[in-house]
Amino acid sequence: MAAVHGLLSHPQQNKMMASSDYPDWMTAEHKTGTTIMAVEFNGGVVIGADSRTTTGAYIANRVTDKLTPVTEKVFCCRSGSAAATQAIADVAKYQLNFLSIEMGEQPLVKTVANVFSIPLGGMCVRQPFAIGGSGSTYIYGHCDATFKGNMTKEECFSFVSNAVALAMARDGSSGGIIRLAAIDETGIERRVILGNELPTFYEG
Amino acid sequence: MQGIDTLSAAGPVQHYFSPYTFNGGTILAIAGEDFSVIATDTRLSQGFSIHTRYSPKSYQLTNSTVLGCAGFHGDCLTLTKVIKARLQMYEHEHGSEMSCPAIAQMLSTELYYRRFFPYYTYNILAGLDSEGKGCVYSFDPVGSYERETYRACGSASSLLQPLLDNQIGFKNQQGVTEVPLRKNKAPFLVEDMFNAAAERDIYTGDKVFFSLITIDGISEQVFPIRKD
Amino acid sequence: MAAVGGTLAQEHCGGFSFENCKRNAILEKMGAKLPTARKTGTTICGVVFKDGVILGADTRATEDTIVADKNCSKIHYIAPNIYCCGAGTAADTEYVTQLISSNIGLHSLSTGRQARIVTALRMLKQLLFRYQGYISAALVLGGVDLNGPTLHTVYPHGSTDKLPYVTMGSGSLAAMSLEEAKKLVRDAIAAGIFNDLGSGSNIDLCVITKEGTEYLRPYDVANEKGVRRGRYSYKRGTTG
Repeated sequence: MAAVHGLLSHPQQNKMMASSDYPDWMTAEHKTGTTIMAVEFNGGVVIGADSRTTTGAYIANRVTDKLTPVTEKVFCCRSGSAAATQAIADVAKYQLNFLSIEMGEQPLVKTVANVFSIPLGGMCVRQPFAIGGSGSTYIYGHCDATFKGNMTKEECFSFVSNAVALAMARDGSSGGIIRLAAIDETGIERRVILGNELPTFYEG
Repeated sequence: MQGIDTLSAAGPVQHYFSPYTFNGGTILAIAGEDFSVIATDTRLSQGFSIHTRYSPKSYQLTNSTVLGCAGFHGDCLTLTKVIKARLQMYEHEHGSEMSCPAIAQMLSTELYYRRFFPYYTYNILAGLDSEGKGCVYSFDPVGSYERETYRACGSASSLLQPLLDNQIGFKNQQGVTEVPLRKNKAPFLVEDMFNAAAERDIYTGDKVFFSLITIDGISEQVFPIRKD
Repeated sequence: MAAVGGTLAQEHCGGFSFENCKRNAILEKMGAKLPTARKTGTTICGVVFKDGVILGADTRATEDTIVADKNCSKIHYIAPNIYCCGAGTAADTEYVTQLISSNIGLHSLSTGRQARIVTALRMLKQLLFRYQGYISAALVLGGVDLNGPTLHTVYPHGSTDKLPYVTMGSGSLAAMSLEEAKKLVRDAIAAGIFNDLGSGSNIDLCVITKEGTEYLRPYDVANEKGVRRGRYSYKRGTTG
């Protein structure tokens, strides 16, 4: 997640002083850094994300909530430019809300909850679990090795929190706390794992 | 100092290196009938941050000569080191201190020696000449120099020089009697000058290091100015 | 008229005018130096306390390395219960807040309700996102509405954050008294004034509670101006 502090992104303003006169976080360009993931369990999904928002090397927000509701029971995990993902989520939320008023009911929630992976181009693939953001590249192997089918909700919570903690440990642009949420027919259950309560692994 | 020119993530990236940095600082010197004064602010900064609030840019060279040196601090240190070494060599050879006009000529030579990789320094030399009269020499970074009665240089030079022209040179004034600056009035004028500079120039601030050079020696004084 | 290609003075019809872009690009290629915008290298902040919000700002505006304005106002009015600190290009922060203030005013007249902070926030972020960061306004938006005291930051590209202590609902900050909160904001701005060369001069505060707003300008003079030692008044006729 990157909040871009574009004070000096305007080409005209860059001439006022040499770019090196400013700390890098003032002039930094868009950079994405996040770890997000989601996994299905019987009757619901568990989603999780780290909480770091960066502007270059500066952490603009260390307790960001990247788990964004678009309807009552559909969440998206945001990664990429903070401004763009917030704008997209707002538009989606508005359209879905409009649709639900037109239909007189919430957009369909199927009995089996779904996890979709939607990359930049807009492709959409259903997967039993999905990971994303810059931190995800560090944990593909771990997720493939530890994923089991038909996990319980609690198993999913620990699967997600372990994976996100591992990614946060290796990826400089992921960090902070872990935010988790379980979504099933009964509603939303939110959890937070604070920085001093993160699962720990080999720290060499 | 290193800079990175990033136009787009995909496009070519140009890296460059600049051996110079600007560390700010303002110098002001005035020559009187039988004295001279030189004052520098003590802020050392880079970009939008302050390195230290107390780093005087005045360097006492002899018992009757003080050098004010601002610009790139690295070059200021090297230049003053070289000058001091050469002054010591002169003393060993001639058994006496170098006079202020002689130091001015030497400084000019030293600066022009680096004509194509200059010291990034703005210099003012203040002292007494062989007749005991106050003298001020101002320099450009590559060694052009001139004897003057007053001069401001460094980051707030464009703010202070017109003020000096008006107050000491009596420029743009009609019907006034041009009286030479008195020794006891000089510190007040300098203090007002630096207070004015600190109001508008972000690289001038914190404290002023003031030296009064007379036949009796050099008296030093430090006074505070704005710290923001 | 400073117009090229026979364009006459036209009345403004909303939005930005880009008619000089091409001309300016050509002039720049020919070596002309374009004017730089006045930037407010700035320290701004805000704190939520028990009964409301306090916004703080310094008062220096710079043009390159010269202090252009020693006592400018950086806490902008949005609505009686909402104010907004601005950093970035001075003109951008001024116009963006004026525009949103105007729209919020019309909105609350048409709904007959007090303006909400989230409404101002959404308007700001959608405007800034539309301009993809070219409107350099970095803002701290704060106020009190029916949801209580709230604080947000808005970045030039249109991303927003609800500030940490608000999202965490930290008890220690919520229990803070008005005077403690004012002192905290003052100290934060003073740190910016003394350690960042782009910030300076005085400290402004704006205290917003549900009872009303108190704009303290200046709240504190961080730097005492030096006392003039000489006399610089001219006799009549000296300067022509």
